[in-house]
Amino acid sequence: MAAAGRKEKRALWVIAIPMAILALSCVYPVFFAVNNALKSNRGYILDRFGVVTEPTLDNFVQAWTRSHLSEYFFNSVIVTVGAVTLLLVVSSLAGFALASLRFPYRKFIFVVILASLMIPVQVVLVPFYQTIINLGLLNTHAGLIISYTAFFLPFSVYLMTAFYSGLPRELIEAARIDGAKLLQVWWHVMLPMGKPALITLGILNTLYCWNDVLISLLVLQSDRTLMVGIAALRGEYTTNVPLLSAGIVLAAAPIVIIYVIFQRQIVSGIAVGAVKG
Amino acid sequence: MSQIELRNVRKSFGNADVIHGVSLAIEQGEFTVFVGPSGCGKSTLLRMIAGLEEVTDGEIHIGGKDVTDEEPSDRGVAMVFQSYALYPHMTVADNMSFGLRMAHRPKAEIADKVGKAARILQLEELLDRKPGQLSGGQRQRVAIGRAIVRDPQVFLFDEPLSNLDAELRVQMRVEIAKLHQTLGNTMIYVTHDQTEALTLADRIVVLRAGRIEQVGTPLELYDDPDNAFVAGFIGSPRMNFLAASASSGNRLAIGGTEVETPVTFDTGTPLQFGIRPEHLDEETGVTLPLKVEVVEQLGSTAYVHGTLATGETLVAERRRDRPRPGETIELRFDPAKVRLFGEDGQRLR
Repeated sequence: MAAAGRKEKRALWVIAIPMAILALSCVYPVFFAVNNALKSNRGYILDRFGVVTEPTLDNFVQAWTRSHLSEYFFNSVIVTVGAVTLLLVVSSLAGFALASLRFPYRKFIFVVILASLMIPVQVVLVPFYQTIINLGLLNTHAGLIISYTAFFLPFSVYLMTAFYSGLPRELIEAARIDGAKLLQVWWHVMLPMGKPALITLGILNTLYCWNDVLISLLVLQSDRTLMVGIAALRGEYTTNVPLLSAGIVLAAAPIVIIYVIFQRQIVSGIAVGAVKG
Repeated sequence: MSQIELRNVRKSFGNADVIHGVSLAIEQGEFTVFVGPSGCGKSTLLRMIAGLEEVTDGEIHIGGKDVTDEEPSDRGVAMVFQSYALYPHMTVADNMSFGLRMAHRPKAEIADKVGKAARILQLEELLDRKPGQLSGGQRQRVAIGRAIVRDPQVFLFDEPLSNLDAELRVQMRVEIAKLHQTLGNTMIYVTHDQTEALTLADRIVVLRAGRIEQVGTPLELYDDPDNAFVAGFIGSPRMNFLAASASSGNRLAIGGTEVETPVTFDTGTPLQFGIRPEHLDEETGVTLPLKVEVVEQLGSTAYVHGTLATGETLVAERRRDRPRPGETIELRFDPAKVRLFGEDGQRLR
């Protein structure tokens, strides 16, 4: 008995040590950013990896005001909120149609949407950029919102279609007999019932839009979103690491707050769409 | 004028024809049950009346109006689904009032109608609960309540008791029958359970492979079936069918015995001889020896499964005694209770 217990304990350590190293590798960059954001530039040069001794919030103030991160922050909020709202509405409507309505070429349309999931953004950058110019959407928030919606829509539609396919058809039929028109069925039945999938999608799309640099750099050239602004804090020859760290902490803060609020839904929503029916 | 009229209604899915020209008239206030085996098209026919399936050909009239191409909500029907189809995110009250809210009825009227329906169905205590917090029977009552508040011309029930356990099913069956007596609306009820059909229906429509086999009152179908399919489908345990041939005129040879029938045939005509298990327990009449194999005890009665001298199997009810497996017993029946069917399954009268 005792030998078996010892063996089990040893096996536990064999698993625990690599797991601890993995966890540390995830936590350390967070510690590094927060620790250095609180140091002065001089303090950082003197001791790059040490724990901060004289914490200061100067870097946050400087990043927020002098480096215009406040401006970029609100640009990011506008385009993220706009794009995520549009994505949720459009993907929910499309998912409802593809999963529940009968119309010609329904499967073909779904396959086309799935196929577009497999095209990397980089491949279509040139025609995409040309289209944005032709439509007069360059340097507009609307341009970036539409671009994000276009790029992240295939996955969103796929997820909502899979989710709605799992709901009983009778719910829609009952609503139709009760006198609901198609849009009312969507609003009163499908949208509330799609909440778990919509929350998951909302969080994933918020992450994509908030963290994006490439599309934002192309569409919003005269203005900047937060991530582009932070990337610009890196100099060609030297970088003010504490300032950059403060910018990163400021950028990550809303995402962390969203995660903390919706933690339970994110975990339960991860499996959404994995199993049909 | 009939409340509902189906005129040569057809339904095809692609190349597959599932309903083959059904014509039927249902009177105002009638409780009609569509019954038949799985895949016979009974649910499809109900969904066509509801407007949930397009009609490939033919016409559907409700209340004298052609509703073939009308939206489900414009047909004056309410439907209760097998899966209840309650909106899980809404309370019982919201579920029941959904149809009225869609019709933009005044709040006072909605509250009044929901209150009345809740009283009829004893749901008053549950109005603030969500469907997930209710038992199967309660959910089914909410689904019925949702139909009642809309005050429809016609109630449609699609196997509403299939998801309930046996005891609750009997209880709900009685409640539906009472509801029909109270409301007096026209009701169409789909089931594959012939006990439900026999106990609830004013008239039963027996369907097979998308065609109506017979329409009639429960007793008409039980006593006077038009064909072997209806005779076998209605009644539990099902009617016994034995191969028979006319030995001369009106005499038939079955299971090693000769029986005189009121019908005359050409000698050698092959026939199906049908007799119900409950009609094989007479004190006098024609005798049929049966070797008992299995005895099903049901308390007040028993069903005996055995083989005849010809090797054919037979089920007989036994009310007065309980034979043992291996015994040979004498079954007696009244020839007037025998139903004869031709080779094509049609009744011979």
